[in-house]
Amino acid sequence: MSPEWIGILSLVVLFGAIFVGFPIAFTLIAVALVFGLIGLGELTMHLMTLQFFSVMKETTLASVPFFLFMGYLLEQSGLMERLFRGVQLLLAPLRGSLYLAVLITATIFAAATGIVGSSVTLLGVMAAPAMKRSKYDVRLSAGTIAAGGTLGILIPPSVMLIVMGPVVGVPTTDLFAAAVVPGLLLSGLYIAYTLMRSYLNPSLGPALPLDERRPLGYVLKELIFGIAPIVLVIMATLGVILAGIATPTDAGAVGAFAVFVLTLIYRRMTWEKLKKAVFSTLEVSCMILLLVAASNFFGAVFSRLGSATLIAESLLTLNFSPTIMLLLILAIIFVLGWPLEWVPIVLIVVPILMPLVQKLGIDLVWFCTLVAVCLQTAWLSPPVALSAYFLKGVVPDWELKDIYAGMMQFMVLQIIGLLLILYVPQIALWLPALLRE
Amino acid sequence: MESTNKIPPRWLLATIRTCDAVSLWSGKLVAWLIFPMVLSLVYEVVARYIFDAPTTWAYDMTYILYGSFFMLGSAYTLLKKGHIRTDTYYAAWSVQRQGLVDAVCYVVFYFPGMLAFVYVCWGFFVRSFEQGERVVSSPWMPVIYPLKGALFMAIVLLIVQGFSELLKSIWAARHGKWL
Repeated sequence: MSPEWIGILSLVVLFGAIFVGFPIAFTLIAVALVFGLIGLGELTMHLMTLQFFSVMKETTLASVPFFLFMGYLLEQSGLMERLFRGVQLLLAPLRGSLYLAVLITATIFAAATGIVGSSVTLLGVMAAPAMKRSKYDVRLSAGTIAAGGTLGILIPPSVMLIVMGPVVGVPTTDLFAAAVVPGLLLSGLYIAYTLMRSYLNPSLGPALPLDERRPLGYVLKELIFGIAPIVLVIMATLGVILAGIATPTDAGAVGAFAVFVLTLIYRRMTWEKLKKAVFSTLEVSCMILLLVAASNFFGAVFSRLGSATLIAESLLTLNFSPTIMLLLILAIIFVLGWPLEWVPIVLIVVPILMPLVQKLGIDLVWFCTLVAVCLQTAWLSPPVALSAYFLKGVVPDWELKDIYAGMMQFMVLQIIGLLLILYVPQIALWLPALLRE
Repeated sequence: MESTNKIPPRWLLATIRTCDAVSLWSGKLVAWLIFPMVLSLVYEVVARYIFDAPTTWAYDMTYILYGSFFMLGSAYTLLKKGHIRTDTYYAAWSVQRQGLVDAVCYVVFYFPGMLAFVYVCWGFFVRSFEQGERVVSSPWMPVIYPLKGALFMAIVLLIVQGFSELLKSIWAARHGKWL
């Protein structure tokens, strides 16, 4: 058997094992080791230590724990809840104001956190009770929270983009810059949709009852003293990265430190909450980074076997136009996003498709943005939609079928957003080009 | 089911609890490395941008801490069932079946991989230690064997925790209950 086919066989075994349900990192190590020894010999053993060690020395990836820590500190401290309350009070007389408050909070929180889980949970805990009290439509409410929560994985500092950078060979800062406008575009689509529907049918999102409102002076004071500092820290952290002043790692560390100091100043941090933030940071960092190391090892073996090139060349003989091919690639990623999480897709599937993408001459930053939006959409696609489970977990009296029905509406918006980015690449490429000048 | 209520022998529980405790405490210790990681970079940023006097050590310090952080914490994450798996099918299975599949996978995938890893890693560490290998690309030129030692230790911890998980899955396969 030629090395290329050994590689293809290793993929088949790998995906078989992944679907059986064993933790993916360890499956990757074993499969890479066995097929590497068959195809490459003893070199494989050294590839293993060298690949793990190189991930341990990769300073860009060191930003992953920092941004996770920043997100968990904000989550534990309850400062996001304060932000939500403030925005909600400001907008109270408006129809559909809670949708707007959820989406604004979600967008700001997304600029501080890099993952989905905590945003959906957090938004569910703070917004769902208010939405129920104010007789908001269950489906639209659930959809808004779930969709808003997924913005965390797209809007920088997205952990997905930090991990994708080295995989594709593009600076993380470029990917961050490229995701800003698409993230805001989607957030804008959600806002437009929910407000339009509440305007046309006020029973979906009535204005808040009078006892949920406060005098304007109180609201403004709350916004300036309670909320502005935290938003400022979040924006400054992102700003220095996008402006190229600091690396994501430097900015992440300083941002996490600043958020930590703020939680102390606001007296929102307790020993228990800090421990929870610290341990959650470790757990999620290890999950992501061990998988990065394991897939780097697998990738090193796989690329030396030459299978990715073989796959690329055989797909190229199909003679599809680059656009059709791109749609096909995105469809594959989208479909795989149902059963699989983004981590294995970004780390295993994307590298396999990379030679093909390069031969087609597709812009890599644009490609990464499309993949990111695709994978973000996968969080909202029933029946395997993690956001739905997170939401059901914190709002048990919302029916799963209503949550699904709500999410489907936002799926449509996602697809509109994806098509827009597909046909107008400038949505993704404008900001990186501007910042490079 | 009667077998569900079977009481596990004391030696089995003791072994599992000992392994779990090692992972739990190593994780609880390692998790706090996030603070020196954050603080050394904050110090560096302040020194560089405000006092225009960058340190020579902060970057090396960051990756040495970060590399140790996620590798040494992996056993803790295994204990907490934090390493992602595809539970499309897995979640729907009975406990017996989950245990059986896990036990087979630990024997077929996990231990061969980890044992080979610990073997090469020891050589990797010892060579570096004996040569007193330094990072030549950095002005600080730190010795690098501690980081390689951390990788070795991390794999040892993973083997310890993997052993505990294997015992748990065998018990689950036979008696339909997770210990």
